[in-house]
Amino acid sequence: MLSVFCYIKEFLRPEWWKKFLFAKTPPLTSPSYFRDYPHLTGNECTHELRCMMICPSPGAIEVLKTDDGRWEPVIYKGHCIRCGLCVEVCPDNVLASGRILEQNETDRTSYLSSYRLNVDDSLCMRCSNCSVACPINKVIDPNLAYNATSSSDDVIMRVKNSKLTILHPEKCTGCKTCEKTCPNGAITVARIVEGDQDEE
Amino acid sequence: MKKTVDVSLPVGPVHPCFKEPARIKCQTTGEKVLSAEIELGYVKKGIERIMVGRPWQEVMFLAERICGICSVIHNMVFIETVEKLSDINVPKRAAYLRVIVNELDRIQSHMLANYSYCYTIEHETLAMYLINLRETAIDQLELITGARITCAYMIPGGVRFDLKENDAEKLSFAMDKMEKDLIRFTNMFESGPLIGLRSKNVGILTREDAILSHAVGPTARASGINADQRTNHPTYQELGFSPIVMDSCDSYARVMVRFKEVFQSIELIRKCLDKLPKGLIRGGGVVTEGEYTWIGEAPRGELTYHVKTDKYGRVAEIAIQTPSIMNIEACAHHMLKNVDSAADVTSTFISSDPCIACNER
Ligand code: SF4
Ligand code: SF4
Ligand code: SF4
Repeated sequence: MLSVFCYIKEFLRPEWWKKFLFAKTPPLTSPSYFRDYPHLTGNECTHELRCMMICPSPGAIEVLKTDDGRWEPVIYKGHCIRCGLCVEVCPDNVLASGRILEQNETDRTSYLSSYRLNVDDSLCMRCSNCSVACPINKVIDPNLAYNATSSSDDVIMRVKNSKLTILHPEKCTGCKTCEKTCPNGAITVARIVEGDQDEE
Repeated sequence: MKKTVDVSLPVGPVHPCFKEPARIKCQTTGEKVLSAEIELGYVKKGIERIMVGRPWQEVMFLAERICGICSVIHNMVFIETVEKLSDINVPKRAAYLRVIVNELDRIQSHMLANYSYCYTIEHETLAMYLINLRETAIDQLELITGARITCAYMIPGGVRFDLKENDAEKLSFAMDKMEKDLIRFTNMFESGPLIGLRSKNVGILTREDAILSHAVGPTARASGINADQRTNHPTYQELGFSPIVMDSCDSYARVMVRFKEVFQSIELIRKCLDKLPKGLIRGGGVVTEGEYTWIGEAPRGELTYHVKTDKYGRVAEIAIQTPSIMNIEACAHHMLKNVDSAADVTSTFISSDPCIACNER
Protein backbone atom coordinates (compact mmCIF):
# COMPACT_ATOMS: atom_id res chain seq x y z
CA MET A 1 0.00 0.00 0.00
CA LEU A 2 2.76 2.34 1.06
CA SER A 3 4.59 1.82 -2.22
CA VAL A 4 1.52 2.94 -4.16
CA PHE A 5 1.59 6.26 -2.33
CA CYS A 6 5.32 6.53 -2.98
CA TYR A 7 4.80 6.16 -6.72
CA ILE A 8 1.83 8.53 -6.76
CA LYS A 9 3.93 11.13 -4.93
CA GLU A 10 6.77 10.72 -7.44
CA PHE A 11 4.49 10.96 -10.46
CA LEU A 12 2.63 14.02 -9.20
CA ARG A 13 5.72 16.20 -9.25
CA PRO A 14 5.50 18.93 -11.89
CA GLU A 15 9.12 18.27 -12.93
CA TRP A 16 8.24 14.69 -13.72
CA TRP A 17 5.41 15.80 -15.99
CA LYS A 18 7.59 18.38 -17.63
CA LYS A 19 10.20 15.73 -18.34
CA PHE A 20 7.57 13.23 -19.49
CA LEU A 21 5.86 15.57 -21.92
CA PHE A 22 8.97 17.21 -23.33
CA ALA A 23 11.25 14.20 -23.34
CA LYS A 24 13.70 14.25 -26.22
CA THR A 25 16.97 12.65 -27.05
CA PRO A 26 19.81 15.14 -27.05
CA PRO A 27 21.61 15.45 -30.39
CA LEU A 28 24.46 13.02 -30.87
CA THR A 29 27.28 15.53 -30.96
CA SER A 30 30.26 15.78 -28.65
CA PRO A 31 30.89 19.14 -26.98
CA SER A 32 33.63 21.38 -28.34
CA TYR A 33 35.90 20.58 -25.40
CA PHE A 34 35.77 16.80 -25.97
CA ARG A 35 39.29 15.45 -26.54
CA ASP A 36 38.66 13.68 -29.83
CA TYR A 37 41.18 12.13 -32.25
CA PRO A 38 43.77 14.76 -33.14
CA HIS A 39 43.16 16.51 -36.44
CA LEU A 40 45.41 18.69 -38.57
CA THR A 41 45.27 22.45 -38.14
CA GLY A 42 47.02 23.26 -41.40
CA ASN A 43 50.25 24.49 -39.83
CA GLU A 44 53.40 23.19 -41.45
CA CYS A 45 55.01 20.13 -39.85
CA THR A 46 58.76 20.57 -39.39
CA HIS A 47 59.42 16.84 -38.95
CA GLU A 48 60.68 17.04 -35.38
CA LEU A 49 58.99 13.73 -34.58
CA ARG A 50 58.19 14.77 -31.01
CA CYS A 51 54.61 13.51 -31.38
CA MET A 52 55.82 10.07 -32.43
CA MET A 53 58.31 9.97 -29.57
CA ILE A 54 55.81 10.78 -26.82
CA CYS A 55 52.84 8.76 -28.09
CA PRO A 56 52.06 6.09 -25.47
CA SER A 57 50.19 3.87 -27.89
CA PRO A 58 52.38 1.90 -30.32
CA GLY A 59 51.53 2.50 -33.95
CA ALA A 60 49.05 5.32 -33.37
CA ILE A 61 50.90 8.10 -35.14
CA GLU A 62 53.38 8.32 -37.96
CA VAL A 63 54.92 11.30 -39.73
CA LEU A 64 54.87 10.64 -43.45
CA LYS A 65 55.80 12.53 -46.58
CA THR A 66 52.87 13.59 -48.72
CA ASP A 67 52.88 13.55 -52.51
CA ASP A 68 53.90 17.20 -52.73
CA GLY A 69 56.93 16.62 -50.50
CA ARG A 70 55.65 18.01 -47.20
CA TRP A 71 55.74 16.15 -43.90
CA GLU A 72 52.43 15.37 -42.28
CA PRO A 73 51.44 13.39 -39.18
CA VAL A 74 48.96 10.59 -39.78
CA ILE A 75 46.77 9.27 -36.92
CA TYR A 76 45.70 5.65 -37.03
CA LYS A 77 42.35 5.69 -35.28
CA GLY A 78 42.37 2.03 -34.36
CA HIS A 79 45.46 2.56 -32.20
CA CYS A 80 45.08 6.11 -30.94
CA ILE A 81 43.76 6.36 -27.38
CA ARG A 82 42.99 10.10 -27.69
CA CYS A 83 45.36 11.08 -24.90
CA GLY A 84 46.23 14.35 -26.60
CA LEU A 85 49.94 14.23 -25.70
CA CYS A 86 50.98 14.63 -29.35
CA VAL A 87 48.92 17.82 -29.54
CA GLU A 88 50.55 19.15 -26.39
CA VAL A 89 54.18 18.46 -27.36
CA CYS A 90 54.09 19.68 -30.94
CA PRO A 91 56.01 22.99 -31.05
CA ASP A 92 54.38 24.07 -34.33
CA ASN A 93 50.74 23.40 -33.33
CA VAL A 94 50.27 21.05 -36.27
CA LEU A 95 47.65 18.97 -34.48
CA ALA A 96 44.58 19.97 -32.50
CA SER A 97 42.10 18.11 -30.34
CA GLY A 98 39.34 19.51 -28.15
CA ARG A 99 40.53 22.73 -26.55
CA ILE A 100 44.02 21.48 -25.66
CA LEU A 101 45.73 24.03 -27.87
CA GLU A 102 43.87 27.04 -26.45
CA GLN A 103 44.39 25.78 -22.92
CA ASN A 104 48.11 25.32 -23.47
CA GLU A 105 48.32 28.83 -24.81
CA THR A 106 46.44 30.48 -21.95
CA ASP A 107 48.05 28.36 -19.21
CA ARG A 108 51.50 28.49 -20.90
CA THR A 109 51.95 24.78 -20.29
CA SER A 110 54.19 22.44 -22.26
CA TYR A 111 56.36 19.36 -21.94
CA LEU A 112 60.14 19.34 -21.86
CA SER A 113 61.65 16.16 -23.17
CA SER A 114 65.19 14.90 -23.23
CA TYR A 115 66.73 11.57 -24.12
CA ARG A 116 69.31 9.41 -22.40
CA LEU A 117 71.23 6.62 -24.09
CA ASN A 118 71.65 3.42 -22.21
CA VAL A 119 74.25 0.86 -23.38
CA ASP A 120 74.39 -2.63 -22.01
CA ASP A 121 78.11 -3.40 -22.20
CA SER A 122 77.61 -7.13 -21.86
CA LEU A 123 75.49 -7.18 -25.01
CA CYS A 124 77.35 -4.60 -27.12
CA MET A 125 79.81 -6.15 -29.61
CA ARG A 126 81.32 -2.83 -30.76
CA CYS A 127 80.10 -3.12 -34.33
CA SER A 128 79.39 0.66 -34.29
CA ASN A 129 76.25 0.20 -36.37
CA CYS A 130 74.51 2.60 -33.99
CA SER A 131 77.08 5.38 -34.33
CA VAL A 132 77.08 5.10 -38.11
CA ALA A 133 73.30 5.05 -38.37
CA CYS A 134 72.68 8.01 -36.07
CA PRO A 135 71.55 10.92 -38.27
CA ILE A 136 72.92 13.52 -35.84
CA ASN A 137 76.34 11.86 -35.82
CA LYS A 138 76.29 11.93 -39.61
CA VAL A 139 75.72 15.69 -39.63
CA ILE A 140 78.41 16.42 -37.03
CA ASP A 141 81.07 14.19 -38.54
CA PRO A 142 80.34 13.01 -42.10
CA ASN A 143 83.52 10.91 -42.08
CA LEU A 144 82.07 8.70 -39.37
CA ALA A 145 79.99 6.94 -41.95
CA TYR A 146 83.12 5.59 -43.66
CA ASN A 147 85.50 4.54 -40.96
CA ALA A 148 83.13 4.01 -38.05
CA THR A 149 85.44 5.60 -35.50
CA SER A 150 85.50 9.34 -35.22
CA SER A 151 88.24 11.72 -34.20
CA SER A 152 85.71 14.42 -33.42
CA ASP A 153 84.72 14.89 -29.78
CA ASP A 154 81.38 16.48 -30.73
CA VAL A 155 79.60 13.33 -31.83
CA ILE A 156 76.88 11.75 -29.71
CA MET A 157 78.66 8.40 -29.53
CA ARG A 158 81.54 6.52 -31.07
CA VAL A 159 83.47 3.31 -30.65
CA LYS A 160 86.91 4.02 -29.27
CA ASN A 161 89.43 1.75 -27.54
CA SER A 162 87.00 -1.10 -28.27
CA LYS A 163 84.29 0.45 -26.16
CA LEU A 164 81.16 2.31 -27.14
CA THR A 165 81.37 5.70 -25.42
CA ILE A 166 78.50 8.14 -25.20
CA LEU A 167 79.90 11.67 -25.36
CA HIS A 168 76.96 14.01 -25.83
CA PRO A 169 73.63 12.41 -24.89
CA GLU A 170 72.02 15.88 -24.79
CA LYS A 171 72.28 16.18 -28.60
CA CYS A 172 70.11 13.09 -29.13
CA THR A 173 66.71 13.74 -30.71
CA GLY A 174 65.27 10.42 -29.66
CA CYS A 175 64.68 9.07 -33.16
CA LYS A 176 65.57 5.56 -31.96
CA THR A 177 67.45 4.74 -35.17
CA CYS A 178 70.33 3.38 -33.08
CA GLU A 179 67.96 1.17 -31.12
CA LYS A 180 66.59 -0.27 -34.35
CA THR A 181 69.97 -0.83 -36.03
CA CYS A 182 71.67 -2.52 -33.10
CA PRO A 183 71.78 -6.25 -33.89
CA ASN A 184 71.88 -7.21 -30.22
CA GLY A 185 69.44 -4.83 -28.60
CA ALA A 186 72.32 -3.43 -26.55
CA ILE A 187 71.42 0.25 -26.87
CA THR A 188 68.14 1.73 -25.67
CA VAL A 189 66.89 5.28 -25.71
CA ALA A 190 65.12 6.46 -22.55
CA ARG A 191 62.69 9.35 -22.90
CA ILE A 192 62.59 11.74 -19.98
CA VAL A 193 59.51 13.94 -20.05
CA GLU A 194 58.73 16.73 -17.64
CA GLY A 195 55.57 18.80 -17.43
CA ASP A 196 56.36 22.49 -17.48
CA GLN A 197 54.62 25.84 -17.13
CA ASP A 198 55.99 29.35 -17.67
CA GLU A 199 55.43 32.02 -15.05
CA GLU A 200 53.80 35.21 -16.25
CA MET B 1 6.85 -34.40 4.73
CA LYS B 2 8.53 -31.78 2.60
CA LYS B 3 11.89 -32.90 1.32
CA THR B 4 14.65 -30.46 0.46
CA VAL B 5 17.61 -31.32 -1.73
CA ASP B 6 21.05 -29.71 -1.57
CA VAL B 7 21.88 -28.20 -4.93
CA SER B 8 24.96 -26.45 -6.24
CA LEU B 9 23.70 -23.37 -8.06
CA PRO B 10 26.01 -21.52 -10.45
CA VAL B 11 25.41 -17.78 -10.98
CA GLY B 12 27.40 -16.23 -13.83
CA PRO B 13 30.03 -15.85 -15.24
CA VAL B 14 27.88 -13.85 -17.60
CA HIS B 15 24.87 -12.55 -15.75
CA PRO B 16 22.73 -9.56 -16.69
CA CYS B 17 23.33 -7.92 -13.32
CA PHE B 18 27.08 -8.33 -13.03
CA LYS B 19 29.10 -5.61 -14.58
CA GLU B 20 31.94 -8.01 -15.29
CA PRO B 21 32.49 -11.77 -15.54
CA ALA B 22 32.69 -13.79 -12.33
CA ARG B 23 31.03 -17.00 -11.26
CA ILE B 24 29.37 -17.58 -7.90
CA LYS B 25 28.92 -21.21 -6.97
CA CYS B 26 26.25 -21.43 -4.25
CA GLN B 27 25.40 -24.40 -2.11
CA THR B 28 21.66 -24.22 -1.60
CA THR B 29 19.09 -26.21 0.24
CA GLY B 30 15.66 -25.33 -0.99
CA GLU B 31 15.65 -21.56 -1.42
CA LYS B 32 18.23 -21.00 1.32
CA VAL B 33 21.87 -20.41 0.41
CA LEU B 34 24.27 -22.17 2.77
CA SER B 35 27.62 -21.02 1.43
CA ALA B 36 29.17 -19.65 -1.72
CA GLU B 37 32.39 -19.68 -3.62
CA ILE B 38 33.48 -17.04 -6.10
CA GLU B 39 35.49 -17.95 -9.15
CA LEU B 40 37.57 -15.37 -10.98
CA GLY B 41 40.09 -15.51 -13.80
CA TYR B 42 38.08 -14.99 -16.95
CA VAL B 43 39.69 -11.80 -18.25
CA LYS B 44 43.29 -11.53 -16.99
CA LYS B 45 44.99 -8.54 -18.68
CA GLY B 46 48.61 -8.75 -17.45
CA ILE B 47 48.95 -4.97 -17.20
CA GLU B 48 51.66 -5.00 -14.49
CA ARG B 49 53.93 -6.99 -16.80
CA ILE B 50 53.34 -4.58 -19.69
CA MET B 51 54.18 -1.60 -17.45
CA VAL B 52 57.71 -2.76 -16.67
CA GLY B 53 60.40 -0.91 -18.62
CA ARG B 54 58.22 2.00 -19.63
CA PRO B 55 58.46 5.66 -18.62
CA TRP B 56 55.71 7.38 -16.62
CA GLN B 57 54.03 8.93 -19.61
CA GLU B 58 53.16 5.44 -20.84
CA VAL B 59 52.52 3.73 -17.50
CA MET B 60 50.10 6.50 -16.54
CA PHE B 61 47.78 5.51 -19.38
CA LEU B 62 48.12 1.81 -18.65
CA ALA B 63 47.31 2.39 -14.97
CA GLU B 64 44.16 4.20 -15.95
CA ARG B 65 43.08 1.26 -18.01
CA ILE B 66 43.15 -1.16 -15.10
CA CYS B 67 39.63 -0.18 -14.18
CA GLY B 68 37.15 1.58 -16.38
CA ILE B 69 34.96 2.65 -13.47
CA CYS B 70 37.46 4.25 -11.11
CA SER B 71 40.21 5.20 -13.57
CA VAL B 72 41.13 8.57 -12.05
CA ILE B 73 42.30 7.17 -8.72
CA HIS B 74 44.69 4.74 -10.47
CA ASN B 75 46.21 7.68 -12.31
CA MET B 76 46.38 9.70 -9.08
CA VAL B 77 47.97 7.01 -6.89
CA PHE B 78 50.52 6.04 -9.54
CA ILE B 79 51.53 9.65 -10.12
CA GLU B 80 51.70 10.35 -6.37
CA THR B 81 53.92 7.31 -5.84
CA VAL B 82 56.25 8.48 -8.60
CA GLU B 83 56.27 12.00 -7.14
CA LYS B 84 57.10 10.72 -3.68
CA LEU B 85 60.00 8.57 -4.86
CA SER B 86 61.60 11.42 -6.78
CA ASP B 87 60.75 14.30 -4.41
CA ILE B 88 58.57 16.29 -6.76
CA ASN B 89 56.37 18.95 -5.21
CA VAL B 90 52.88 19.68 -6.45
CA PRO B 91 51.64 23.28 -6.60
CA LYS B 92 48.69 24.02 -4.28
CA ARG B 93 46.28 24.76 -7.10
CA ALA B 94 47.07 21.46 -8.82
CA ALA B 95 46.57 19.55 -5.56
CA TYR B 96 43.08 21.02 -5.14
CA LEU B 97 42.20 20.34 -8.78
CA ARG B 98 43.26 16.73 -8.27
CA VAL B 99 40.84 16.41 -5.36
CA ILE B 100 38.01 17.87 -7.44
CA VAL B 101 38.55 15.42 -10.27
CA ASN B 102 39.02 12.51 -7.89
CA GLU B 103 35.79 13.27 -6.05
CA LEU B 104 33.87 13.61 -9.31
CA ASP B 105 35.19 10.19 -10.21
CA ARG B 106 34.06 8.85 -6.84
CA ILE B 107 30.57 10.24 -7.43
CA GLN B 108 30.24 8.53 -10.80
CA SER B 109 31.65 5.25 -9.47
CA HIS B 110 29.31 5.22 -6.44
CA MET B 111 26.36 6.10 -8.62
CA LEU B 112 27.17 3.20 -10.93
CA ALA B 113 27.43 0.85 -7.93
CA ASN B 114 24.09 2.00 -6.53
CA TYR B 115 22.55 1.86 -9.98
CA SER B 116 23.63 -1.78 -10.32
CA TYR B 117 22.21 -2.50 -6.89
CA CYS B 118 18.82 -0.97 -7.69
CA TYR B 119 18.81 -2.75 -11.01
CA THR B 120 19.56 -6.07 -9.32
CA ILE B 121 16.68 -5.69 -6.89
CA GLU B 122 14.63 -4.70 -9.94
CA HIS B 123 13.84 -1.18 -8.99
CA GLU B 124 14.54 0.01 -12.50
CA THR B 125 13.08 3.48 -12.12
CA LEU B 126 15.49 4.45 -9.37
CA ALA B 127 18.28 2.69 -11.25
CA MET B 128 17.58 4.85 -14.28
CA TYR B 129 17.51 8.01 -12.17
CA LEU B 130 20.86 7.13 -10.63
CA ILE B 131 22.56 6.34 -13.93
CA ASN B 132 21.35 9.73 -15.19
CA LEU B 133 22.93 11.37 -12.17
CA ARG B 134 26.17 9.56 -12.96
CA GLU B 135 25.99 11.06 -16.42
CA THR B 136 25.96 14.56 -14.88
CA ALA B 137 29.14 13.72 -12.94
CA ILE B 138 30.80 12.35 -16.08
CA ASP B 139 29.85 15.51 -17.96
CA GLN B 140 31.71 17.54 -15.33
CA LEU B 141 34.76 15.29 -15.74
CA GLU B 142 34.55 15.89 -19.47
CA LEU B 143 34.30 19.63 -18.90
CA ILE B 144 37.51 19.72 -16.84
CA THR B 145 39.65 17.07 -18.50
CA GLY B 146 38.19 16.73 -21.98
CA ALA B 147 37.53 13.01 -21.63
CA ARG B 148 34.76 11.07 -19.95
CA ILE B 149 36.35 7.99 -18.38
CA THR B 150 40.07 7.76 -19.10
CA CYS B 151 40.84 11.36 -18.21
CA ALA B 152 44.68 11.23 -18.01
CA TYR B 153 44.55 14.36 -15.89
CA MET B 154 47.47 14.13 -13.49
CA ILE B 155 51.17 14.22 -14.40
CA PRO B 156 54.19 14.27 -12.08
CA GLY B 157 54.37 17.74 -10.60
CA GLY B 158 50.86 18.87 -11.41
CA VAL B 159 47.86 18.44 -13.65
CA ARG B 160 47.37 18.80 -17.37
CA PHE B 161 44.60 21.40 -17.63
CA ASP B 162 43.57 24.35 -15.55
CA LEU B 163 40.02 25.03 -14.37
CA LYS B 164 38.73 28.16 -16.05
CA GLU B 165 36.59 30.74 -14.25
CA ASN B 166 33.36 30.01 -16.14
CA ASP B 167 33.95 26.26 -15.94
CA ALA B 168 34.14 26.58 -12.16
CA GLU B 169 30.77 28.31 -12.23
CA LYS B 170 29.29 25.55 -14.38
CA LEU B 171 30.75 22.97 -11.99
CA SER B 172 29.28 24.52 -8.87
CA PHE B 173 25.91 24.90 -10.62
CA ALA B 174 26.00 21.19 -11.51
CA MET B 175 26.85 20.35 -7.90
CA ASP B 176 23.74 22.19 -6.69
CA LYS B 177 21.57 20.36 -9.19
CA MET B 178 23.08 17.01 -8.32
CA GLU B 179 22.59 17.54 -4.62
CA LYS B 180 18.92 18.43 -5.11
CA ASP B 181 18.30 15.29 -7.16
CA LEU B 182 20.34 13.13 -4.85
CA ILE B 183 18.31 14.14 -1.79
CA ARG B 184 15.19 12.91 -3.59
CA PHE B 185 16.78 9.62 -4.68
CA THR B 186 18.22 8.94 -1.24
CA ASN B 187 14.78 9.51 0.27
CA MET B 188 13.31 7.12 -2.26
CA PHE B 189 15.83 4.49 -1.30
CA GLU B 190 15.46 5.06 2.42
CA SER B 191 11.67 5.09 2.52
CA GLY B 192 10.75 2.93 -0.49
CA PRO B 193 9.09 -0.17 0.95
CA LEU B 194 10.31 -2.56 -1.74
CA ILE B 195 13.89 -1.47 -1.32
CA GLY B 196 13.78 -1.79 2.44
CA LEU B 197 12.51 -5.34 2.20
CA ARG B 198 15.15 -6.40 -0.27
CA SER B 199 18.16 -4.86 1.43
CA LYS B 200 17.65 -4.57 5.16
CA ASN B 201 19.11 -7.45 7.15
CA VAL B 202 20.35 -9.13 3.97
CA GLY B 203 23.98 -10.14 3.54
CA ILE B 204 25.19 -9.34 7.04
CA LEU B 205 28.94 -8.73 7.36
CA THR B 206 29.64 -8.22 11.04
CA ARG B 207 32.43 -5.96 12.24
CA GLU B 208 34.49 -8.97 13.34
CA ASP B 209 34.05 -10.72 9.99
CA ALA B 210 34.92 -7.53 8.16
CA ILE B 211 38.16 -7.24 10.13
CA LEU B 212 38.88 -10.93 9.61
CA SER B 213 38.42 -10.80 5.85
CA HIS B 214 40.21 -7.40 5.58
CA ALA B 215 37.23 -5.74 3.95
CA VAL B 216 37.97 -2.20 2.74
CA GLY B 217 36.18 0.89 1.54
CA PRO B 218 32.41 1.40 1.83
CA THR B 219 31.96 -2.32 2.54
CA ALA B 220 34.08 -2.02 5.69
CA ARG B 221 32.66 1.35 6.66
CA ALA B 222 29.12 -0.07 6.45
CA SER B 223 30.24 -2.64 9.04
CA GLY B 224 31.34 0.02 11.47
CA ILE B 225 35.06 0.17 10.65
CA ASN B 226 36.38 3.72 10.64
CA ALA B 227 38.99 3.37 7.91
CA ASP B 228 39.54 5.71 5.01
CA GLN B 229 42.90 6.37 3.40
CA ARG B 230 41.85 9.89 2.52
CA THR B 231 42.48 10.81 6.15
CA ASN B 232 46.21 10.28 5.44
CA HIS B 233 46.24 12.43 2.32
CA PRO B 234 47.69 15.91 2.93
CA THR B 235 45.16 17.78 0.74
CA TYR B 236 42.17 16.02 2.30
CA GLN B 237 43.56 16.78 5.75
CA GLU B 238 43.60 20.46 4.84
CA LEU B 239 39.97 20.25 3.76
CA GLY B 240 38.87 18.72 7.04
CA PHE B 241 37.74 15.22 6.20
CA SER B 242 36.17 12.53 8.36
CA PRO B 243 34.97 9.15 7.07
CA ILE B 244 31.33 8.08 6.97
CA VAL B 245 30.59 5.03 9.09
CA MET B 246 27.38 3.05 9.55
CA ASP B 247 26.86 0.04 11.72
CA SER B 248 23.88 -1.94 10.49
CA CYS B 249 26.27 -4.20 8.52
CA ASP B 250 23.75 -5.18 5.79
CA SER B 251 23.34 -4.47 2.08
CA TYR B 252 21.23 -1.43 2.97
CA ALA B 253 24.11 0.09 4.95
CA ARG B 254 26.57 -0.50 2.13
CA VAL B 255 24.34 1.30 -0.36
CA MET B 256 23.57 4.10 2.11
CA VAL B 257 27.26 4.64 2.86
CA ARG B 258 27.78 5.25 -0.84
CA PHE B 259 24.89 7.71 -1.01
CA LYS B 260 26.25 9.61 1.98
CA GLU B 261 29.74 9.61 0.51
CA VAL B 262 28.39 11.24 -2.62
CA PHE B 263 26.98 14.06 -0.47
CA GLN B 264 30.37 14.32 1.19
CA SER B 265 32.11 14.41 -2.20
CA ILE B 266 29.84 17.24 -3.33
CA GLU B 267 30.72 19.09 -0.13
CA LEU B 268 34.45 18.47 -0.70
CA ILE B 269 34.23 19.78 -4.27
CA ARG B 270 32.50 22.94 -3.02
CA LYS B 271 35.21 23.44 -0.40
CA CYS B 272 37.90 23.00 -3.06
CA LEU B 273 36.21 25.52 -5.35
CA ASP B 274 36.02 28.00 -2.46
CA LYS B 275 39.62 27.56 -1.43
CA LEU B 276 41.12 27.09 -4.92
CA PRO B 277 44.31 29.17 -4.76
CA LYS B 278 45.65 31.09 -7.73
CA GLY B 279 48.96 30.10 -9.28
CA LEU B 280 50.68 27.52 -11.42
CA ILE B 281 49.29 24.08 -12.13
CA ARG B 282 52.57 22.43 -13.10
CA GLY B 283 55.71 22.55 -11.00
CA GLY B 284 57.89 20.39 -13.23
CA GLY B 285 60.34 17.78 -12.00
CA VAL B 286 62.03 14.74 -13.44
CA VAL B 287 61.27 11.22 -12.27
CA THR B 288 64.44 9.71 -10.81
CA GLU B 289 65.57 6.43 -9.35
CA GLY B 290 63.80 5.18 -6.25
CA GLU B 291 61.28 2.92 -4.65
CA TYR B 292 58.09 3.83 -2.80
CA THR B 293 54.76 2.46 -1.66
CA TRP B 294 51.75 4.73 -1.45
CA ILE B 295 48.15 4.00 -0.56
CA GLY B 296 45.15 5.93 -1.81
CA GLU B 297 41.44 5.56 -1.32
CA ALA B 298 39.66 4.34 -4.44
CA PRO B 299 35.85 4.44 -4.52
CA ARG B 300 35.95 0.78 -3.46
CA GLY B 301 38.66 1.03 -0.80
CA GLU B 302 42.39 1.06 -0.36
CA LEU B 303 44.52 1.06 -3.49
CA THR B 304 48.22 0.37 -3.08
CA TYR B 305 50.96 1.03 -5.60
CA HIS B 306 54.50 -0.16 -5.09
CA VAL B 307 56.80 1.29 -7.72
CA LYS B 308 60.52 0.95 -8.27
CA THR B 309 62.19 3.01 -10.98
CA ASP B 310 65.54 2.69 -12.71
CA LYS B 311 68.02 5.54 -13.19
CA TYR B 312 66.21 6.84 -16.26
CA GLY B 313 62.90 7.09 -14.42
CA ARG B 314 61.43 4.05 -16.12
CA VAL B 315 59.38 1.60 -14.11
CA ALA B 316 61.57 -1.33 -13.11
CA GLU B 317 59.14 -3.09 -10.80
CA ILE B 318 55.52 -2.45 -10.05
CA ALA B 319 53.01 -4.15 -7.80
CA ILE B 320 49.42 -2.99 -7.53
CA GLN B 321 46.94 -4.06 -4.93
CA THR B 322 43.35 -3.21 -5.72
CA PRO B 323 40.53 -3.07 -3.18
CA SER B 324 37.93 -5.38 -4.69
CA ILE B 325 39.63 -8.69 -3.98
CA MET B 326 39.25 -8.14 -0.22
CA ASN B 327 35.59 -7.30 -0.56
CA ILE B 328 35.00 -10.31 -2.77
CA GLU B 329 36.60 -12.46 -0.10
CA ALA B 330 34.34 -10.92 2.54
CA CYS B 331 31.38 -11.47 0.25
CA ALA B 332 32.16 -15.12 -0.51
CA HIS B 333 32.90 -16.20 3.03
CA HIS B 334 30.60 -14.09 5.16
CA MET B 335 27.89 -12.16 3.36
CA LEU B 336 26.68 -15.07 1.27
CA LYS B 337 26.37 -17.39 4.25
CA ASN B 338 22.82 -18.24 5.33
CA VAL B 339 21.12 -15.95 2.84
CA ASP B 340 17.40 -16.59 2.89
CA SER B 341 16.74 -16.58 -0.81
CA ALA B 342 18.72 -17.38 -3.94
CA ALA B 343 17.47 -14.11 -5.41
CA ASP B 344 19.44 -12.21 -2.77
CA VAL B 345 22.75 -13.70 -3.91
CA THR B 346 23.28 -11.35 -6.85
CA SER B 347 22.06 -8.29 -4.95
CA THR B 348 24.33 -9.05 -1.98
CA PHE B 349 27.28 -9.59 -4.29
CA ILE B 350 26.59 -6.32 -6.11
CA SER B 351 26.13 -4.45 -2.81
CA SER B 352 29.83 -5.00 -2.07
CA ASP B 353 30.56 -3.23 -5.39
CA PRO B 354 32.87 -5.88 -6.86
CA CYS B 355 35.11 -4.71 -9.66
CA ILE B 356 36.51 -7.65 -11.57
CA ALA B 357 38.62 -5.48 -13.89
CA CYS B 358 40.67 -4.37 -10.86
CA ASN B 359 41.39 -7.93 -9.81
CA GLU B 360 42.18 -9.24 -13.26
CA ARG B 361 44.60 -6.43 -14.03
S1 SF4 C 1 46.43 11.34 -29.10
FE1 SF4 C 1 47.87 10.12 -27.87
S2 SF4 C 1 47.61 8.03 -28.64
FE2 SF4 C 1 46.71 9.38 -30.18
S3 SF4 C 1 48.38 9.75 -31.62
FE3 SF4 C 1 48.42 11.43 -30.13
S4 SF4 C 1 49.90 10.77 -28.57
FE4 SF4 C 1 49.33 8.93 -29.76
S1 SF4 D 1 68.12 8.07 -30.82
FE1 SF4 D 1 68.59 8.85 -32.84
S2 SF4 D 1 69.65 10.80 -32.45
FE2 SF4 D 1 69.64 9.67 -30.52
S3 SF4 D 1 71.59 8.59 -30.53
FE3 SF4 D 1 70.09 7.18 -31.37
S4 SF4 D 1 70.21 7.47 -33.57
FE4 SF4 D 1 71.23 9.22 -32.62
S1 SF4 E 1 74.94 -1.23 -32.65
FE1 SF4 E 1 74.66 -2.30 -30.67
S2 SF4 E 1 76.34 -3.79 -30.66
FE2 SF4 E 1 76.86 -2.32 -32.27
S3 SF4 E 1 78.13 -0.80 -31.21
FE3 SF4 E 1 76.02 -0.03 -31.09
S4 SF4 E 1 75.27 -0.80 -29.14
FE4 SF4 E 1 77.11 -1.97 -29.61
